[in-house]
Amino acid sequence: MSSRDPAGAAVQRLPLEQGYFVMPDDENPTPRLIASYSATADEYFFPRRKRCPVSFDAVEDRLLSPRGTLYSWTWIANMKYGAMSMGGEPHGVGQVDLPEGVRVQTRLLGQMGDWQIGMPMMVDLLPITKDSDGNELCTFCFRPDEDQD
Amino acid sequence: MATDDVYVIGVGMHPISAAQTPVRDMAFHAGIAAMEDAGIEFDTVDALYNGYASGPMLAGVAIAKDLGLTGVPITHVENASATGSSAFREAVLAVAGGHARCAMALGFDPSPASVATGGGASAAMMSSFFKTSVESVLLPAAFFAMWAVRRMHDAGTTVETYAKIAAKNWNHARLNPFAQRHADHQVTPEEVLASTMIAYPHTSMMAAAVGGGAACAIVADRQLAEQVRDRTGHALVRVATSQSQSERYTAGHVFMGAVVGPAELTRSTAAAAYEDAELGPTDLDLVHVHDAFPVEELLYYELLGICGDGEGDKLVADGATEIGGRIPFSTDGGLIGRGHPVGPTGLAQIWDVTQQVRGEAGARQVENARTGLAHMMGAGSVCIIHILQRT
Repeated sequence: MSSRDPAGAAVQRLPLEQGYFVMPDDENPTPRLIASYSATADEYFFPRRKRCPVSFDAVEDRLLSPRGTLYSWTWIANMKYGAMSMGGEPHGVGQVDLPEGVRVQTRLLGQMGDWQIGMPMMVDLLPITKDSDGNELCTFCFRPDEDQD
Repeated sequence: MATDDVYVIGVGMHPISAAQTPVRDMAFHAGIAAMEDAGIEFDTVDALYNGYASGPMLAGVAIAKDLGLTGVPITHVENASATGSSAFREAVLAVAGGHARCAMALGFDPSPASVATGGGASAAMMSSFFKTSVESVLLPAAFFAMWAVRRMHDAGTTVETYAKIAAKNWNHARLNPFAQRHADHQVTPEEVLASTMIAYPHTSMMAAAVGGGAACAIVADRQLAEQVRDRTGHALVRVATSQSQSERYTAGHVFMGAVVGPAELTRSTAAAAYEDAELGPTDLDLVHVHDAFPVEELLYYELLGICGDGEGDKLVADGATEIGGRIPFSTDGGLIGRGHPVGPTGLAQIWDVTQQVRGEAGARQVENARTGLAHMMGAGSVCIIHILQRT
């Protein structure tokens, strides 16, 4: 997948980490989180598990729904631990419930005041940094799903 | 394992503070204080359990070289915030299992300011806040903030309730000479709300104080405990139960990061504790919890069975959890007021509960206290509960 830099040049977008989500493509217009599915427990788990934590049986990869519901949120105004500042910009964090029964802890796009518990959410990409080739490395995030309002 | 015949015979502390006091000095001070409290020397100790989250390998061995070279078995324990509680539990189990007549649990950690330059587990944890990995540790203020926001949605809890809990613990800390936070005036909820916002709705005065310190507790079998009682005049303090559980899979289970555990973990661990001790929440005279943020204390009122689900806000409004109230919580200031140096935190709880049930807690004494509960969470994923009772 690619985006455009300020000069209009195409920038390749890549996952920051492998194994958590698949990038958008012709088949999937949004990123899709990769879960583990346990047939014996009939449960989905995210991030992927080495085996089912309930039945201890083998699990298989499944793509999760890109849409969910906001369970809770917060706005980190100051990255402080005790008196120590961690730096970084203020940002939102939340937990999103997906239809498969998975609760995802995630960065949120938007500002303080943009989120309400129970609102529809959509998975998206969040650029984090660039690699030495200029590729944009991304993680996943969630944003309010305007299409479902 | 039954802990019926295990007793706390000595407790000691070094003050918790942001000062960069060498951890070896603080640990030595706490260990000596506990032995003086019990009227014993180090050659009476049959097992030593060291709890710390920041420091080099075998830090407890270096400290034992200061306490005495007796050949005592030494073990190092780490369980995040529950490190000190876990060290205490190991000491209790050593005596309960007949492997030691007397065991010492010693918790210590430096202030984060010195950790930042010296490395260690806390430094690694703090550097992980910067990472954007899916598995990174989320800023604790943010994780518990999501609990707080959800609670406001579900039960109509207000930010004023959170501020009132925090102010209570700041004011309890004013009565504790070993606490990190010592306000020179009665702290008000308004003051708490006006402090710097960290992660909505958590302000800086709602967050646990982060410093360094040391705390120590010594446990023994009944025979030695009675000898100590006769020598020192301290009341016998029995360990009525020691319980530890980790996460079970629950609906909406969050797997990302280390600070993930479900709140229900406290309910199931408390149920096991009450059953083992043959006690219930109405038998308790005081309670300590992992009150790193006020929403935790509020939820633990309910999860420990002190009140019904959704009734915690009323306890706060009535002042029931203040010293002088029906069931005081965090009587030494808790994590918010006394401080949360990690390794010593659970043992600081044991220090206060022991002094309370002995009737030796001074200005913060809970009237007629006989039974106290100490609850601690480790990274939200380990829950440890001890109940101490004067016999």
